[in-house]
Amino acid sequence: MAQPSKSKATRRDFLKLAAAGAAGAAAGPFISRKAQAKPVSIAFARESAYVKNFDVHFQNVMAPAYEKATGIKIDYQIQAAGGSAVPQLVSMVENKNGADLAWVQQEWLYRDALVDVTDIAEEVGKQQGGWYDEIKRLSVDKGKWKSVPNGNIGQLMNYRRDWFDEVGAHKFPDTWEEFLEVGTKLKQKGHPFGMSMGHGFADNYSWLYPLLWSYGVTVMDKDGKKVALDSSETAKAVEYVKKLYKDACIDDCIGWLDPANNKAFLTGQISCTNNAYSIMVSAKRDLPEMGKVIDHGLNPKGPTGQRYHALVPVTHGVFSYSKDPQAAKDFLRWMMDPKQYRPWIASGDMYFAPYLHAFDKAPEWDIEPRVKPFQKVLETGKLTSWPAPANRQHGEVINRWIVIDMFTKAITGTPTKNAIAEAVAQIKTIYG
Amino acid sequence: MSKILEAPRAGALAAPAHRPIRFGRFGALMERESVFSWMMLAPPLLFLLAFLGYPFIYGVYLSFFHKEVARVADYVGFGNFVKLYNDPIFWQAVRNTIIFTGVATIFKASGGLGMALVMNQSFRMKEISRAMLLLPFIVPTVLSTVAWQWILDPGMGLFNRLLMVSGLAERGPSWLGTPTMAMISIIMVNTWRGLPFFGISILAGLQTIPVDLHESATIDGAGTWGRFRYVTLPSLMPVILIVTVFSIVITFFDFQLVYVLTGGGPANSTHLMATYAYSLSMGAGQMGLGSAVALSMVPVLGLLLVALTFFVRKD
Repeated sequence: MAQPSKSKATRRDFLKLAAAGAAGAAAGPFISRKAQAKPVSIAFARESAYVKNFDVHFQNVMAPAYEKATGIKIDYQIQAAGGSAVPQLVSMVENKNGADLAWVQQEWLYRDALVDVTDIAEEVGKQQGGWYDEIKRLSVDKGKWKSVPNGNIGQLMNYRRDWFDEVGAHKFPDTWEEFLEVGTKLKQKGHPFGMSMGHGFADNYSWLYPLLWSYGVTVMDKDGKKVALDSSETAKAVEYVKKLYKDACIDDCIGWLDPANNKAFLTGQISCTNNAYSIMVSAKRDLPEMGKVIDHGLNPKGPTGQRYHALVPVTHGVFSYSKDPQAAKDFLRWMMDPKQYRPWIASGDMYFAPYLHAFDKAPEWDIEPRVKPFQKVLETGKLTSWPAPANRQHGEVINRWIVIDMFTKAITGTPTKNAIAEAVAQIKTIYG
Repeated sequence: MSKILEAPRAGALAAPAHRPIRFGRFGALMERESVFSWMMLAPPLLFLLAFLGYPFIYGVYLSFFHKEVARVADYVGFGNFVKLYNDPIFWQAVRNTIIFTGVATIFKASGGLGMALVMNQSFRMKEISRAMLLLPFIVPTVLSTVAWQWILDPGMGLFNRLLMVSGLAERGPSWLGTPTMAMISIIMVNTWRGLPFFGISILAGLQTIPVDLHESATIDGAGTWGRFRYVTLPSLMPVILIVTVFSIVITFFDFQLVYVLTGGGPANSTHLMATYAYSLSMGAGQMGLGSAVALSMVPVLGLLLVALTFFVRKD
């Protein structure tokens, strides 16, 4: 019985296919004329979001809505997280082939291959309360916006409230000195801190750079012409980190890549680390008991009395090699329209915090009290290039881990003075 | 009668004479060994040229240019190499690569020899054991390295748990947390992964040694050590040398293992030339400088390979 019906279905399928083919042939000239007017599809590349619903919302709600409105299909290319996005973007730009627009991680690398999106950025800024100034240091190049900021992945201190309570720290330490004091007590109780200092790309910078800044030190001066790291305050910061590592941290953390601190925290090996709120999300999902006692604290203040955070920006840019950059720009403009943008950001539980002041007191922040501190990151957040421009030289310092290794070299036995001198010499070579 | 008999014979003789002509010049050309062998070699050669030759030549070209992503390349001659000469991280990566390759190869060669000698004995479930030994070689490196990340975890990793449970240590070492231990760890993981390549190749070599040689040596009074020293080892030397050469090349260019385990840290203590070239090219966008690092590996390896080839020929 099954055989004939299968055969019928095949014939019917064939007939359908033939009819469709004939219709296609008849509509051919029309379609090709239309194709010249607008593209059939736009490819949009983004690294997969930690909060899965953010990607799901885009795929299930936004992409179909755009196709319905314009007839243009959105090809959403999700790139694996963990460092593979940048090589893929480099390859796209070098081969002038690939996505039409993307989350341009380390965008200083491809600025010359991005089209001017000033019109969109200014319109979005005007419409939604204005942009935070710091992000302009990245997105604006020579007076033109080369990307439209999408959000900041906030990095804060993730800590175990129950263990902190046990050593009498009922609120998160306000200064680095208090932080060391609490960490020392916790390590003695078998709950060390796990402050990443390896060759990762976020969890190391997100506390070591703010720490340096809070000691009054920056890597470069404002113009990015003179190395500013060579200072007595740097030595104090390095000495502090040496002591923090020895007295308060787990041994392994100087070799940690970005996933390592999540793993150590979730397996109960550490009581504090600097991270996005992904640890809390995992704990709430898989380890409910731990999920209840995780909290987030702001980076402590340094001797200058200032507190800083490092921005981890997500920006979208349109590649000039795109067959139709204008169509990609139109899509970007549509994406950033509050009608689309607000629900999209809300779907990601504010994991990507907008750099727009309209969101400062947005009700979306109230979804979880432990998420709310991540809004504060924007107020005191700086790019790792701060106060200098976020350019290629700055990218090279980051990708060669020169400042991070200055700290780890000192920890592993290089005299502080030499570790700083080596870092300064390398930065001078890079900046020429 | 003879005429009748002669006619078909003449035809039969004539037929083979015509056949090659019917195949044409192409057939005749294919009959020539030199042509045929080149025809067979051409596809793999073209493949190698396209997927190895082109990137290599492009890499050589890039290393003489100041080439940043999305920008036009400027010719700088040996500028990139001069920059590297003055770069302490580059020299650290060179030192690390030599130590990593040297030590791992010694471990793999000696361990592989031992593994092959054991596997050459007769014992129950020999075949399954041999198949199991290939596992490290079969599992994709990235996957096995992620597993190693868990094994080497200081608090809950297998190694430290075993050390603690067996009472050998109160708490195990920080496998990836100090420069020396991190280097030891990556050498250990590389050895684990490369051991089967040596083991299986040497085992194949062992099985080609005629039994007569061992018997003669036994009659001449050689013991186990004597047979190994004067029969087994000399017979195996060509295999060991070839496998060592291959292994050195593969180990020298190792990237995935270090990239996944340490990213070259802590404090560049495990940065190899391959990982440094990658971070310069793909992370910092300095394609020219990154290519120069990659190209710097070639002369060292080239010299090594020439020396080994010379040694093998002499042998």
